[in-house]
Amino acid sequence: MQHLDSGKPIIEAHDVAKSFNTQAGKVELFTGLSLSVEAGESLAIIGRSGAGKSTLLSLLAGLDTPTSGHVLFAGQSLDQLDDPARADIRLRHLSFIFQSFHLLPELDALDNVRLPLEIQGAADAEQQARHWLQEVGLGARMDHYPSQLSGGEQQRVAIARAFATRPSVLFADEPTGNLDDETGHQIIEQLFTLNASQGTTLILITHDLELARRCRRRLHLHAGRLEEVAE
Amino acid sequence: MSLLPRLAQRQLRTQLRTTEWRALLLATWVAIALTTLLAVLGDRLERGLLRESAALLGADLVLSSSRPITPERLGQIDLSDTRHTQVIQFPSMVGQGDELMLVSVRVLKSPYPLRGELVTEPAGQDAIPGPGEVWAEPRVMTQLGLEPGDPLEFGYAKLTLTHRLLASPDRGSGFRSFSPHILVNHADLEASGVLAEGSRADYRLLIAGNSERIRQLEQQLRPTLADHERLHALQADQPLTGNALGTALRYLKLTALIALLLSAMTIVLALRRFALGQHTRSALLLNLGLKPGQLVRLYLYQLLMAWAVTAILGFVTGYLLQAAVYQWLADLLPQSLPAAGWLRWLTGPALGLALLVLLGLPPILQLARIPVAHLLRGDPPPRDRTAILLQGCSALLLIITLLTFLQAPAAALSLLLFLLIGGALFGWLAQWALIASAKPLARRLLLGRLLLMRLRQQRQWHRLQAAVVVMLLTLLSVIWISRSDLLLQWQAQFPSDTPNYFVINIQPWEREALDQFLAEQSLETELYPMIRGRFTELNGAPVQPQLNEEQQSHNTLRRELNLSWSSERPEHNPLQAGEWWTADNSEPLISIEREMAQELGLGIGDRLGFDVGGVPVEGRISNIREVVWTSFRPNFYIIFSPGALEGAPSTWITSFHLPPERQQVSRQLLQQFPSLTLIDIDQLLSQLSQWLKRLADSSALILALSLGCGLMLLGVTLLQALEQRRFESALLQTLGVTAEQARRLDLLEFLLIGLVCGVLASISAEAVLASLHMYLLQIDPRLHPLLWFSLPPLAALLFVLIGLLIRRPLRLDQCYRLLRSG
Repeated sequence: MQHLDSGKPIIEAHDVAKSFNTQAGKVELFTGLSLSVEAGESLAIIGRSGAGKSTLLSLLAGLDTPTSGHVLFAGQSLDQLDDPARADIRLRHLSFIFQSFHLLPELDALDNVRLPLEIQGAADAEQQARHWLQEVGLGARMDHYPSQLSGGEQQRVAIARAFATRPSVLFADEPTGNLDDETGHQIIEQLFTLNASQGTTLILITHDLELARRCRRRLHLHAGRLEEVAE
Repeated sequence: MSLLPRLAQRQLRTQLRTTEWRALLLATWVAIALTTLLAVLGDRLERGLLRESAALLGADLVLSSSRPITPERLGQIDLSDTRHTQVIQFPSMVGQGDELMLVSVRVLKSPYPLRGELVTEPAGQDAIPGPGEVWAEPRVMTQLGLEPGDPLEFGYAKLTLTHRLLASPDRGSGFRSFSPHILVNHADLEASGVLAEGSRADYRLLIAGNSERIRQLEQQLRPTLADHERLHALQADQPLTGNALGTALRYLKLTALIALLLSAMTIVLALRRFALGQHTRSALLLNLGLKPGQLVRLYLYQLLMAWAVTAILGFVTGYLLQAAVYQWLADLLPQSLPAAGWLRWLTGPALGLALLVLLGLPPILQLARIPVAHLLRGDPPPRDRTAILLQGCSALLLIITLLTFLQAPAAALSLLLFLLIGGALFGWLAQWALIASAKPLARRLLLGRLLLMRLRQQRQWHRLQAAVVVMLLTLLSVIWISRSDLLLQWQAQFPSDTPNYFVINIQPWEREALDQFLAEQSLETELYPMIRGRFTELNGAPVQPQLNEEQQSHNTLRRELNLSWSSERPEHNPLQAGEWWTADNSEPLISIEREMAQELGLGIGDRLGFDVGGVPVEGRISNIREVVWTSFRPNFYIIFSPGALEGAPSTWITSFHLPPERQQVSRQLLQQFPSLTLIDIDQLLSQLSQWLKRLADSSALILALSLGCGLMLLGVTLLQALEQRRFESALLQTLGVTAEQARRLDLLEFLLIGLVCGVLASISAEAVLASLHMYLLQIDPRLHPLLWFSLPPLAALLFVLIGLLIRRPLRLDQCYRLLRSG
């Protein structure tokens, strides 16, 4: 997959607002929010539950559209693209890691990793999938189904799946939220090692300050505003 | 295998373990099996009756008349370039020794039949029975203990049974089409003396020719038909119309509508539940790069795979079922049936596919619209106008598909409405009764209060469950009870001396001798003349223009009436208004039946004109009589005073009661008066009840399958409520309720809803049976205690068993995990 030049903004948000209509009236989640993420950078977004971290991530990944303002991917405004075009950007440039792994239970580890490659039409899907499972240390468990794997192992399969398509940007939403500390720690090590070796832009959502500290930049989402957090 | 089918196959294999997929497969299986059964059996019946092109009619065109077809009438019909022949058919008692049997006699001339063939054993070189011969259907031979070569008495003639009649076209319509038949040669008719002027018989002119010639002839004949004539043309598309078998098949198809609807509902609910569980997967697949179109294809592949499995299973089951039902009905069917056309074998699988695709598309298309952000925030798919429109369209298409399959749109639509309205009513009643019956429990038990809370919370599901179970139990009980009980009860209401024999076709010259014979046998009876006439004029002007539209289609105006005359008022016809005529009356007076007078708006003093065989006869209404049509005595709409009708050709009619120990009298009667037609009402009713019983058994089989579908639906609805129930159960257990108490709460709920459904089903079954008694049989309704004792425990058992099957106990550690997962 193609990588975009490092040093240039790969994702930008300009004056973004998001509100919801509820039975009780309109709820403003945030307004006038701006940020810029450079290619190859690692960024942590921290904040309390309900602050709107996941919504912000949805907006940055083009999974949702802002009420006002613009989100740009590689200089292209996402809200001006139709659904298929946004899906195409996701397919070629973005990957996700979720708190609850989201593996397909009827596929073994190898097939779970192979799936996005096959959707992309990769000729050597199986070979690549094997490679990535070796990378995350699951070479011996490729034919195991999710139900036969521990939580940490499942998340490693999800990491292999995320990197397999060689994305430009990797979004990770509380990737250690469902794991114990020690396993979480191992997973984070793996994530950052791969990220460094692949030069992927990493946007991480977490409320774990320890984890956030491993990112180059940290932004705190609080009361609808983003604040840079110093070291 | 490429990606999507492979993924679909993997998904299906995993999901087959879930209850919703099992229910979906079972429902589709039953729908395919039932449709195959009905389509194949229907086609075999149609082909059987249509065998050898026009075998049903035995001709391409049939002119049927209740009067002999005179040479003059024949002269009016241009029969050039056609083949034609005449047949006479009438009911008669035939005998061997002391045994008598009611049969339908067909009197034939060569060539016969014009279409189709007579299949006999031994296979005949002769086309029709020769003079002195009779061919009889196996039922006649079995009941009378006859073998080929035995003599058979037919009126004054003694014939020899030569052939067993295995199959024959031209069976006539209505009841006579499923009465056992015998065939005799026209040459023996006169010697038998069974038919004379005015006798009741169906006279048919059979015509065959090329289709263009037949079409011309049909067009020419239609406008010239007299009131006593009917024209039957072969309708290749609906050969079963008007035939007893056709009616039976339509009835079975309507019964099947219930099963098909329940299957459809099960499929809808199973798919809905399935789709709910697929939100995350769909969002993930879209997130991994699958396009919405590909996602739709993925799920369609999965449905197609499910369909392929159920199509094979349903096809095989349908085949076995149709073979079983065919065996069941075999001795009532006119002939051995040919195999069904191969296309009909595909009807079931095709309908199954239509069901799955039509019901499956809306939720699948919704899945393709799920936002990927669902993975992060749990956003559901949009519920907008598109989604609602899609569901509406698929429901409409489904109803059209079902109605097309059932081929009786009006009846099916009425049944559909009846089921929907009845279901809504019972659902509402059940909900009300559930809450009312739980209130006293709530005051006494801790569980009772929780139960009341749950009943309020789950009321939507309870309404649906109750509607389905109550309607099904009602229909099953009504069919089960009426299959044997209804006719028996109808017969049992009559006093023990109710006539059980009718004698018709009594010629005027036989009247006195017969009167004497009956008097010698101390049989109390009265003979009435019977003259055919058509009601044409009212107060000197044509009757039709003087009536409104509804009156114009009145039964008494559409056909010839049996008129009579008498000096005495029939003892069993009390007067409602006016005076009976005196012996010295000379004016033509009329006594009219009350309902006819009421419905046509006729009153005392009105002058009615009749066309009696071309001769106008007029009379003035002098009184109105009440007639009990079920009295099994000769009853007439119109009775004239003596004198007015006496010149017209008439036969006489009477009825009498013979106790079982004096049955030999009927034998003596026929020996002395072989030309009379004696109708044994007990035999007639037993033939009818045999037919009804088989029909009821076949529909009970279909309804039992419907009950299976209903139970599946029950399972799926219980499953729908299960997640909520589990969450609630987890909460209760965390708050201190024991697992045993949680189990008892569930059982109490199942037990209560089962009992309520059982009681409601008993009430509605009694209501349906009571209305059948009152309006159809016109007898007093009675209660069926068996229903009240059996239905409530049965329904409770069903609910408890299915509930236990679906319910999974929850351990305390699971409770906490469940609550934590939200």
